[in-house]
Formats: sequence, C-alpha cells, structure tokens
Amino acid sequence: MTFMSRMDKIRNFCIVAHIDHGKSTLADRLMEYTNTVAKRDMEEQLLDSMDIERERGITIKLTPACMKYNYNGEEYTLNLIDTPGHVDFSYEVSRSLVACEGALLVVDASQGVQAQTLANVYLALDANLEIVPVINKIDLPSADVEGTKKEIEDVIGIPCDNACGISAKTGLNIESVLEAIVKYVPAPTGDETKPLKALIFDSYYDSYKGAVSMVRIFDGSVKVGDEILFMQTKKSFTVTEVGVYKPNAVAVDVLRAGDVGYIAASIKTVCDTKVGDTITLKQNPIEKPLEGYKEATSVVFCGIFPLDGNKYQELSEALEKLKLNDASINFTKETSLALGHGFRCGFLGLLHMEIITERLEREFGLDIITTAPSVEYKIYDNAGRVFDVTNPSQMPSLATVAKMEEPIVKMEILTPKEFLGGIMDLCANRRGVYIDMQYIDANRTKLNYTMPLNEIVYDFFDKIKSISKGYASMDYELSGYAESDLVKMDILLNGEVCDALSIIVHKEKAYARGRALCEKLKGVIPRHLFEIPIQAVIGGKVIARETISAIRKDVLAKCYGGDVTRKRKLLEKQKEGKKRMRRLGSVELPSEAFVTILKLDD
Amino acid sequence: MEKDLRPRGLYIHIPFCSSKCDYCDFVSFSMDNKAQELYLDALCTEMDLVKNDYNDVIFDSIFIGGGTPSIVYNGFISGMLRKVYSSFHIADDAEISIEVNPSSFDKDKFFEYVQAGVNRISVGVQCLDSKLLAKNGRNQTKKHIKETFSILKNSEFVNVSADLMIGLPEQKSSKVMKTAKFLVKNNVKHISTYGLQIERRTILADKIRRGLVKPHDDEHITKTYYKVADFLKKKGFIRYEVSNFARPGFECRHNMKYWNHTQYLGLGVSAYSFIDGYRFFNTKRLDTYIDNLSQGKSVIFSKEYLSIAEKRMETIMLGLRRSKGLNLAYFQEFFGEDILATRAMQIRKLLDNGMIEISDGYLRITDPYFYVSNSIMLELI
Repeated sequence: MTFMSRMDKIRNFCIVAHIDHGKSTLADRLMEYTNTVAKRDMEEQLLDSMDIERERGITIKLTPACMKYNYNGEEYTLNLIDTPGHVDFSYEVSRSLVACEGALLVVDASQGVQAQTLANVYLALDANLEIVPVINKIDLPSADVEGTKKEIEDVIGIPCDNACGISAKTGLNIESVLEAIVKYVPAPTGDETKPLKALIFDSYYDSYKGAVSMVRIFDGSVKVGDEILFMQTKKSFTVTEVGVYKPNAVAVDVLRAGDVGYIAASIKTVCDTKVGDTITLKQNPIEKPLEGYKEATSVVFCGIFPLDGNKYQELSEALEKLKLNDASINFTKETSLALGHGFRCGFLGLLHMEIITERLEREFGLDIITTAPSVEYKIYDNAGRVFDVTNPSQMPSLATVAKMEEPIVKMEILTPKEFLGGIMDLCANRRGVYIDMQYIDANRTKLNYTMPLNEIVYDFFDKIKSISKGYASMDYELSGYAESDLVKMDILLNGEVCDALSIIVHKEKAYARGRALCEKLKGVIPRHLFEIPIQAVIGGKVIARETISAIRKDVLAKCYGGDVTRKRKLLEKQKEGKKRMRRLGSVELPSEAFVTILKLDD
Repeated sequence: MEKDLRPRGLYIHIPFCSSKCDYCDFVSFSMDNKAQELYLDALCTEMDLVKNDYNDVIFDSIFIGGGTPSIVYNGFISGMLRKVYSSFHIADDAEISIEVNPSSFDKDKFFEYVQAGVNRISVGVQCLDSKLLAKNGRNQTKKHIKETFSILKNSEFVNVSADLMIGLPEQKSSKVMKTAKFLVKNNVKHISTYGLQIERRTILADKIRRGLVKPHDDEHITKTYYKVADFLKKKGFIRYEVSNFARPGFECRHNMKYWNHTQYLGLGVSAYSFIDGYRFFNTKRLDTYIDNLSQGKSVIFSKEYLSIAEKRMETIMLGLRRSKGLNLAYFQEFFGEDILATRAMQIRKLLDNGMIEISDGYLRITDPYFYVSNSIMLELI
C-alpha cells in the first residue's frame, strides 16, 4: 500500500441539480449510507428546514456535511457543500463552488436537463470542478436513462460513460456515487505549513456562538485561540471554536488545509463574516485575499411598512434580527406620507424579497405593507452628476435630468416548443430584445433575450409559468445598464399625490399602466362620503382618470331592542376596519391598494 | 351611576308565523294550538319569575311584536295582557301596541285587542303588490290589506301604524310610492320604512347567492327612500328617526325608548332587555324556553354590561338616528366629554361639507346624508 497523505483522503464536493431532481434526497441518502446520521434524525433534519422552503419545494440553504467513507481499506472524508438552488443566490453558489473540487450533477431520468441545472453546471465548469453525472429516479417507469445520458453529453458536453444510475428515493446504487466521488473528484491541494488562507462560503448566526463562518481551508491551519483577520472587512477576532458538520456542528481541535468546517469567534453579526471574504491569521497574514470577492448587491428594492403605524419599532427589531443571519438584506429608514415610517429594503432578487417579507409575517407575526418592487436606476443630471434611485419618490424632477439608465438582464428561458409563441409575445411585451434561440432537443428550446430588469420584477416569472403550464423555466443575470426613456408616474387621490403608489415606468408603457392602475384602485378603495378622482399623472399631465362615486347608502335600516347590540358591534367592526386603513389627506386607503400595483395584467 | 327613573317599556315576543318571509331573520316558528298554549303558559311563568324585580317601576309602553302576534288563537293576546296587568305596574295612559299581519287579522281579533287595552296597531303592509309579496314568501294579498284597513276605519281606530318595505327585489320605486300613497289615504298616522337589508341566513340571502334573485343596488334603494321621505313630509309627516315617520304626536313611545337608552324589559323567546346598564336576551330556542320555564328556571341566555365606551358609542349611534339628533348637554353630563372639542377636527369638516348641523344644543345629520349615517357616525365615535 502506498502512503497517502491526509489531504489525499479528502474530497470536497457539491451537488448541482434542478428543483425536484432529488438533491436533498440524495444528500440524505449519502449521509445515511455513511452513518453520518441515523435514519430517525434524518426526518427531524428535514422537518427543521424553513416552512417557506418546503412549501416552495426549494432548498435555500442546507448545512454542509462531513462524511466518513471506507474505500479500498482507506477512510476518506467526504465534505458535501450545499449550493443554494435559486438564481437570486448565484453569488453564494459561486463561492460554494470555489470551496469544492468536484460536483455531482444530478439529473432526473424522466425529465432531463433543466434550465436551472444548466446554469449551475456552467458555473461549476467555470470553477474548474470535476463533474460527476448522476442519473436519478431510474426506477420510475418514465425513466429514460440512455436518453438522459445522451442529453448530458450533447447539451453540457461531459462524457457519461461513468455516470451513476441511481434511485435516491429507494437507495438504489448509492454506493456507486460514493465510489465515484472518491475516484473522480480530485483531492484538495494546499500547504498546511503556509499561513492560513480560508474562504468563507457561507455564514449564519448562532445565539450562543455568534456569527459562524463556514469555511474551506486552502492553506495553513486554524485552532482555538488564534487571532484571525477578515481581509475584506479588516476586522480581527480571537477564535473560540472550530469544528466540522456531521451534520450537526462538532468541535475539533484544528482545521487544516483541505478541510471544510466552521470557525466561531464571538462575532456579533454576520455582516462581519461576509461570504467570499478570506480569513487569515492576524500575526502572520497572507499577502493577497482570494479572488472573486463581491459585496452582496441588492437588485430589487421595496418599501416595507407596518400595517399598524405603532408597530414600527417591532418591524425595525425584526429586520435587525433577520439581518443577523442574512447579510444580504439592506434596509434604511423611509418615511412615506401615505404609509408613515418604514424601511426601504434591498434584496438579491424577487425570491429573496418574498422570503424576507414572508418571514416578517410568519416568524415575527407582523402585518406589513410592501410597496411595488423597484430596481436601481441611474439618473444623470444636467451637471453631470449620477444618482442611484431605488425609490420612485426620490426621483428628481424631469427638468434637471439629462439621461436615465436602467438595469438590463440577460434572460435565458427553456421551454417546450409548443409554448414558444406565447413566451416570445410576453418577452416582446416586456421590452425584451431577442438574441437567439437554440434547439436543445426535439422538444425543447432555449431562448436568449436581454430585457430590462424592471419588466421582470413584477410578475414575469408567474406569467412564464402560466403560459407554459409550468413547463418553462427561466434564469437571468444582470448584464449592465442601458439608457432608457423612463418616467415617474404619480397617482393622485382626490388631488393629492400618494407617494407609496408612485412608480418608475417606461414611457411607452406609462399610458396603459396608468389606466390599469386607476381601474384597479377604483376597485379596492371603498366609497367615501365624497367623490374621489383617481388620476395617473406624469410630470403634471394627467394620463388616466377614474372616479369613485360618493357612497349612497350606509345605514342600518331598523334598530330595535336587541338589534342595538348587534348594530353597535357592526359599527365597531366598521371602525376597526377603518383603523386598518391608511389615511392620505381625506382619503382612506386599505392595504390592498398597495398590493394592486403588483398585480397589473398586461 | 344614578338610577334611571324614567318609565320603562315592556316588549313581548310572539314567535309564531304561518310561513317565513324570505327576507326575515327574526326568531319565529310555525305554529299549532298546542305549542301556542304551552308558550302562553311559559310567558305567564316568566312574568311570575321576574315580576318581583319590577315592583317599584312603572311601564308606560307595551309592544307586542313578532313573529306574527295576530296569528295566535283568539283569547291568547287578551289572556296574556291580563297576566301583564296583574304582574306589573302599567301606567294608565300607557301606549299598548300590537303588530298585525293582514292575512291573519279579522274583526274578532280587533275587538279582542281593543277590549284588552291595545291602543296602537301596527300593520305589516310592506307592499300592496300581492305577486311581489308572494315571490318573497309572504302569504298576504292586497285584499287582506284592504280588509284590515276597512276594519280599522269602520271602528274609527285612530292610532294606526304601517310598515313599508323599500327595495324588495323586482320592486319598482313606483310601487313603493303607490303603497305610501295608499297608507296616507287610509289615514295611517305612523309609517316605518324598511330599506331592505339582506341578512345572513335568510332565504333571500340564499336565493341571491344562488343567482335566483338580483338585489337592487344602493342607488335605487336610496333614491326610493328619499322619494318616500319627500312625499311623507309634504303630507305632514315628520321623520323622527332614520326609518320612522309620524304625524305630530304619533311618534311611537315604545320605540323611542330604544333610541333614548331608556330601560325596557323583554319577555318571550329571544326577547331583549336593557335594565340597569345590562343588555340581556332570552334563549332563541322555543323548546328550551318552554322547558326551562316549566321547571321554573331562568331563560336568560346571555347578558352584557355596557361599558362606558360602549354606552358612549351607542348614545352617538342612536342619537344620530333621530332627526332631533344627539343631545350635547346630556352627552357632556353623562360622559364628561365635550364632543365638540374631542372631535373638533372631524366635526369641523362635517360641518363644512354640510353633512351635519348643530342647533338648539343638538348635533344632527342633515337630510341629504341621513342614508349614509353610519359613515358619519364613524367619524364621531
């Protein structure tokens, strides 16, 4: 037997898969097979994941797992690093990939390669990972193993001779996957004797340990008591614990080059443990941090306000708490005439925004109003200055604006052919610029477009899904900014601007949007004692108008004896309803009014 | 709180009907003589049970409502009233009203009532159109109505009231006006107009849900209401409450008690009482009512004590229902609150918009805004 170094027996890998193709199930099965967790703990682990994730059938984040596997008489350490499965988190994905040497590409034998998979496979290839194809669900009657292999070879261009055919659900051929990991994924390289060089690929907040960094050690080692330096934030801390995930955090004495584990150092907030940052030793630092660090950038913005104005403080505390665990949320105070005190929040994408707003409501029991999502516009004024505007109400007057730019994305849509027409119409309608179309196989096509981000932040994904009966998938990435003919459209209620309803919109679309918005608002604002004109206005010019006529009957016909109690209660209820309204000048607005803006049909 | 020494009202509920009108959500049961006898016994037992609590008070109004009080067997009402007189102190000049339904009213009943002391009869006319009434499940014809009025007219009975329905599905406003004119011509002194409300759990609500009936819109009902109101005013009626019109001196004393927060005692199934700040009501089940009383047990189902805040709300709500309006001095004295100051901003706005007016120490809703009174009350409570 030849001598094997410690690092030769480590494999760091991740799993790339489309939603529902069995990523979590395979991970569970691997852990079970390697006795990392007992079967009964397994279920608990599944139950522990966030409701939101389970409901949407997506895994946002899974903890890494350190597994031991015996192969040819040697014990190997297999570190599974999870990658978030949504485009909003593609930066996090890229950092996780850097921490690995290989990736399992899981493809559902009955469904073939999907858009999301492709995007992540390309990221993995870009990171120079060894790809190990795994064909899952081969036990299904509709499974087409050979066809799927061929597709992987054709579409992705990786050979599938050694592909594992498995069923993660039943556990069929799981061992072949473990073997393939050992055989095909390269061992990490690195030098334990060099100064510490560790990459943070994820972090989270633990109420006992503080902010914990999930790391991959590239060079050197780290142990309790070491004084470490975060090279991007330039902050230093003393290590209180290092450990690995089995999959629960288990403390170890030292983490060395090639290892995957965690570092805790009594850090108060995850803002100090930024994904992509490099950790080194304060006394003996490396010269240059790892490449590829990016500040998490917010792409989508919205205002978040408490429904009950008195709950501002609670909302503020809830956001602070969420921020502890998610450094990518940004928020600043915002005051709206219509909605009072609240926050302007920035998110990585729409899904991220939805997750956060849902968590505010579910975990913190807050009733909130969110304003229409906006993107970040660049406004150049006549003096040549640039402003980043994420809030329509901050847009400067048109007279001072020299030009405006809006963010553009590269959009990729995979769809069965039959829905091509509908989807292309939708893209055209959303100012998409067609680039090309590729035939993936006899059935499916990939459409490439560039389109303004502001056209997809409302309901584009829902629309794609409904046009394609759920079959199409999409993926996008920011590609830059382009000059655009944008205008700010205000909504006037009874002559007063309702700032929370203002939107920035392309000039071409303003008219239709204004009309639709006025109509919708007419439907949700209750009648008042007086007539209320609703006007959509651009730069002082009314482009659409609706009128809510005055209420004509709001009376309790008869009111005798016991009725008095009942009628009082009715009135109390009406009064309660009124309390939930937002008052803007003389007009009372229900919170639905702010939601309507999100649900405009084309 | 000071004891309220004003004379009280007595309400007695007769829960029987020959059939259920589509729009009705009052408690009623179809009847047979046996059930009526048991019910009368139970009513008498209830009076025995509670009368000692009312030894030192005077009642100056009795209202026999339903259901359909005119449907019970001859002798029921007079027997019941005899028991009332022997159980409670009834003022000599008490107003004693009974609701009658034209289809079950006749000369014999009329004489029985009058001899038993009834001095005010409220006729459930609703509408002259027999077909429309039939469609709404009310088995009463124009002929019944005419007969009822001829009995009343021939015996020169004066204090007659009538109910007038507004906004029945398919009812044109001209039909409502026709009925109103008929009532005035027949020398009715008091008219209650009911803008149809679609109550939950009624046959009508179900029909609407199933798409069998299309309700009128608010605009139609409001217009019709104002048409009727204008007509009655021209004919010398005064609107003294949102839904009630009377020739001067014929306001319903009993009903005024509800709107004045005067105390009243309710007897019978589902009857409500308002005594010493408590509002309570009897069981809504006929069998429970009879069973409990046969064992000498109380039939009060639920009781609430009105908090100051609730009382304040009711005072505003009920005060603004009346044409006279909310008595500001009373409000200040009772709640220690000068509403003109505490709601200054809202009141200013309502005044500026001509929705309310203040004079003679009363705050009232102006005529054009009577039919949106809730929205105005909400500004003040």
